[in-house]
Amino acid sequence: MTDNSGAQTRAVSMTDVNKWFGDFHVLRHINLTIDDGEKVVVCGPSGSGKSTLIRCICKLEDHQEGIINVLGTELNEDVANIDEIRREVGMVFQQFNLFPHMTVLENCTLAQTLVRKKSRKEAEEIAMEFLHKVRIPEQSTKYPGELSGGQQQRVAIARSLCMNPKIMLFDEPTSALDPEMISEVLDVMVSLAEEGMTMICVTHEMGFARRVADRVIFMDEGEIVEQNDPHSFFDNPENERSKLFLSQILQH
Amino acid sequence: MTPTTERAYRAPPSVPFASRLKKSLFASPLDCFITILCAVLFTTIIYAVVDWAFLSSIWSEEDEALCRESSGACWSVIDARHRIIFFGLFPYEEHWRSTLACIVMIITIAASCLPALWSATRLGLLWVSGFGIFYMLMHGGVFGMTVITPERWGGLALTIFIFAAVSLLGMPLSVVLALGRRSKLPVIAKLFGLFIDFFRSLPLLTILFTAAIITPFVLPGWLQGDKLYRVIVGFAIFFACYQAENIRAGMQAIPPGQDEAGLTLGLNYWQRVTRILLPQAFRNSLPSIVNQFVITFKETSIVTIVGFFEILASGSAAYGTGKWTVHYIEVYVFIGVIYFLFVFSLSRYGAYLENKLRVGHD
Repeated sequence: MTDNSGAQTRAVSMTDVNKWFGDFHVLRHINLTIDDGEKVVVCGPSGSGKSTLIRCICKLEDHQEGIINVLGTELNEDVANIDEIRREVGMVFQQFNLFPHMTVLENCTLAQTLVRKKSRKEAEEIAMEFLHKVRIPEQSTKYPGELSGGQQQRVAIARSLCMNPKIMLFDEPTSALDPEMISEVLDVMVSLAEEGMTMICVTHEMGFARRVADRVIFMDEGEIVEQNDPHSFFDNPENERSKLFLSQILQH
Repeated sequence: MTPTTERAYRAPPSVPFASRLKKSLFASPLDCFITILCAVLFTTIIYAVVDWAFLSSIWSEEDEALCRESSGACWSVIDARHRIIFFGLFPYEEHWRSTLACIVMIITIAASCLPALWSATRLGLLWVSGFGIFYMLMHGGVFGMTVITPERWGGLALTIFIFAAVSLLGMPLSVVLALGRRSKLPVIAKLFGLFIDFFRSLPLLTILFTAAIITPFVLPGWLQGDKLYRVIVGFAIFFACYQAENIRAGMQAIPPGQDEAGLTLGLNYWQRVTRILLPQAFRNSLPSIVNQFVITFKETSIVTIVGFFEILASGSAAYGTGKWTVHYIEVYVFIGVIYFLFVFSLSRYGAYLENKLRVGHD
């Protein structure tokens, strides 16, 4: 363990990280630090490595070179370290990944009772508290398949929050949703940001980025091409590739 | 509200039953002919069966003499010989033990179908105690019951014992095999794959022969056990290899995101397997899992070949002597009904489960 004095303000730091899928160099020389309480939006064309980047932070993917340090712990092959990090980092997926054979409430209490060793009653109280927060407490006895996409994604957010994570990762949380359901999920994410959660969001919701993000990171071909505050990034992109990308997503 | 009634929601147009019937059965002269022909054939067959089985049949053992004049079934043979069909060579005065054992096992099987008991501990407890009581009653040696060794077990009791023992050993083994074949370590995955494919490529008969006759030459004495147990272990491995592939098919259908969600919540391997992977895998491949149980129940009759008197062999013994030799049809119909009762309830239960587990799934 590193000492806590300076490391506490760093949620994530990545130093010269490289990763390959087979021969494909998917992350190239990534250097990135994210402070405690910072909200970062990662965007870029598809295949640019942005999802892989955040999947490395919760060790769903292994990196081959460089150092990734999350909450003062270095990610290596030490199983105990990885489990500790995974408990502190919440992840929300594009496809929600709720457990279809469990009710909404069971989805939210499972890890609390198994990992945090909470009593069932306590876990259910916490779950209901977060289901209130994502404005969906009345659905707690239903199964995920009975909910709309927007409702499922809000449950997935509540499920992560129940573990009381220090960092929340969002991997294109609204990309699989029908247009009319996007805002209900973004509203939840905005209120989470306002409470001071450290957030790293892969998303193309530019309105959300402008409103919430402290920093926007633009990735292309496995590299961080540009990073800036949202207003500077959207209004005056510096890099040619950023300009091209923004013109493509904003032209309609 | 819109004034135009045409655009309001309304029920779909209803078609009267009579006209639906006319459309599907009597639309053309040829349709009429086929419908009537089928109806006549069907009624004739049903009448013949009912007449044979119930109307003209003889029921009690004393009336056996009447069978020669009657055109119906002679159920006297069942009345006289049903104990052999149910219990085989089990000593006559101990038949109550075999009866009780069968009832205990049927209750255990039925109880394990109740969703309220579906946790590893409860199911484990239920089966260990149910199976333990069954074995204690059949084998004896405790509470003043005389010892009856497995060579003398037989009939329905033996069929149920083999089926239950094969399922009990085979199910956990099949889960282990399925997980092993999906291991991320290539050596483990290949080894488990080889094991499964090896046993699947052998006929069940070969496996049973090997277990019954060849293994005593190979295994040390203390490991051999009774022939019945060797046969059950061989059968269970065969069952597990097929069932493992059914379960693995169910696992393949689960999106990788499910495991990733478990990982990011901090669940360890066994927690992910028991809480996320297996429940979904079982639900996904339920039809083929139930199918394998049905096949196994019927395949228990193959143990006759290595010298066990399960229900089918006991049936042959039941009509094999004296005046009963002419009544083999009745015996086989009776055994057929018993098989049907077991297998049909199994498949109905499978259908019920599928319905129940579909809750909340598209």
